[in-house]
Amino acid sequence: MTTHVAPPQRRKFLITMLGGLGALIAAASVWPVFRFLSPVDTGGSSNQVFLARDVVAPGKAHFFQYQGKPAVILQPTPGNFVALSAVCTHLGCVVAWQEQAGEFLCPCHAGRFSADGQVLGGPPPKPLESLVVQLDGDQLKIG
Amino acid sequence: MQPIKWLVEFVEVRLGVKELYNRELKGYLLPRNVNAWYTLGAVLLALFTLQTLTGILLLMFYVPDAAKAFASVQYIVNEVPFGWLFRMLHAIGANVIVIALLLHMLSVLFMASYKGRREFTWLSGFIIFNLTMGICLTGYLLPWSQLSFWATTVATDAAGAIPIVGDYLVEFLRGGPTVGNQTLGRFFALHVVGMPLVLLALIGAHLFCVKRRGISPPPFGPEYHATEAKPFFEHEKHPGGVPFFPNYFVKDAAIICFFIAFLLAIIFYAPGLFFPDSAFQPADPFLTPPHIKPEWYFLWAYQALKIFPSEIIGLGVQGAFMTFLALLPFIDRGPERRPAKRPLFVTCYVLGILLIVAISIWGHYS
Ligand code: HEM
Ligand code: FES
Repeated sequence: MTTHVAPPQRRKFLITMLGGLGALIAAASVWPVFRFLSPVDTGGSSNQVFLARDVVAPGKAHFFQYQGKPAVILQPTPGNFVALSAVCTHLGCVVAWQEQAGEFLCPCHAGRFSADGQVLGGPPPKPLESLVVQLDGDQLKIG
Repeated sequence: MQPIKWLVEFVEVRLGVKELYNRELKGYLLPRNVNAWYTLGAVLLALFTLQTLTGILLLMFYVPDAAKAFASVQYIVNEVPFGWLFRMLHAIGANVIVIALLLHMLSVLFMASYKGRREFTWLSGFIIFNLTMGICLTGYLLPWSQLSFWATTVATDAAGAIPIVGDYLVEFLRGGPTVGNQTLGRFFALHVVGMPLVLLALIGAHLFCVKRRGISPPPFGPEYHATEAKPFFEHEKHPGGVPFFPNYFVKDAAIICFFIAFLLAIIFYAPGLFFPDSAFQPADPFLTPPHIKPEWYFLWAYQALKIFPSEIIGLGVQGAFMTFLALLPFIDRGPERRPAKRPLFVTCYVLGILLIVAISIWGHYS
């Protein structure tokens, strides 16, 4: 038994099938490219960081990586530790510690933050994100 | 369908694309008896595009430094998601390109498509062929494996056979007395930017020649007639021929799919085909591995250098052969294109292919 299908219908069928197949192949080739380009886990994203207690002297600041981003730890008074994200809340520059003034200055647009991360002046909209610090023997546990 | 129509209209009133479509695609007529061999040019365009894309991806992780290159390639293959796929597509794709190039060249030779005032088409194609070999050679060094290092040492050493300037030339090619970091630097620059840019321009010139001159009708069947050489330029038309789009385009697409399937088949079923053990060991300038061989498409040249009593004769014979091929359309000037009417040519063609295959096999096992 043969069924007759008019040429325009056959053409439409073929174009639909080819289009579908093409879309499938395109999707199958985009996926590897997407995975190839996806951000890599550089190992810096661990949730806890341990530092030796003496990395930061009273009044000084020590910069380190926390979850792949810059962070800073301070010892404002002996035995008292503060950890903050060092990423400015304005446009993401890394803040610098001004030892004399005892505050942070962002070199990009002169945003100022106190030693506990509060905004003192300039464009930053929010305080620096603060991180949990615990003193554990002679180790500092952040996060 | 409505939005698509609207978009086409939007572009149409600004750029007149329908006229372009009617003239360059639907109205680009090919000879009625056009055959599958005419798809190889399109196959090459597709393969070169793929090569460029995979190359860009590899560049994101590859480090062109003798101390890091090998590790960076291992990292791509073993750590980066799908890195193995793009590395294999690139490395094995190069071999498939050489296969497609050889088939394109051999079919053009067999059908004598270089005749009928197509010298420029042939010449541009021939330079493309040599440049592609150069891209393959420079790319081969980049993984900085034992294979890369020693194959490049042997290949650059061959230039030493040239009298007087030979020794200096070898050092010049390497950028130092031996293959080293400087060699990697220059090969990297040439492989990634220099040669591809020139290749792009040459492919443009080649396509221009093909299009401007008009495609040659296959020299088979009752429609065959020799093109008479007129003393002025004339585009070779094919009234009543097959439209390039959609008719021949579909054939192009089918054969492109075939070549991609072939490439993927090697990657999935015979991934080690082009990778001997020495490709998995980092380069060691103090230890030559046994049985170091160039890639298959250089074997004939490698063996030719060994057959002749002196290297300079071997090099001279190779040079003469390549020059002869380059100038073929200027030497073989008769109008006859039917293979059956060109017994001398076909005999040389078949014997030539057999000879090169035989020398290559000899080179492989020697
Ligand atoms: C990147 C490499 C190359 C590309 C992309 C390319 C592309 C093309 C295309 C699209 C065509 C028209 C369709 C066809 O006949 O296949 C063509 C024709 C031609 N090619 Fe190539 N080609 C390449 C390499 C070569 C080489 C190595 C040679 C010879 C040394 C060559 C010689 C010719 C000739 C003589 C024609 C004219 C055929 C005719 O008019 O019938 N090409 N090429
Ligand atoms: S980014 Fe810090 S003040 Fe603008």
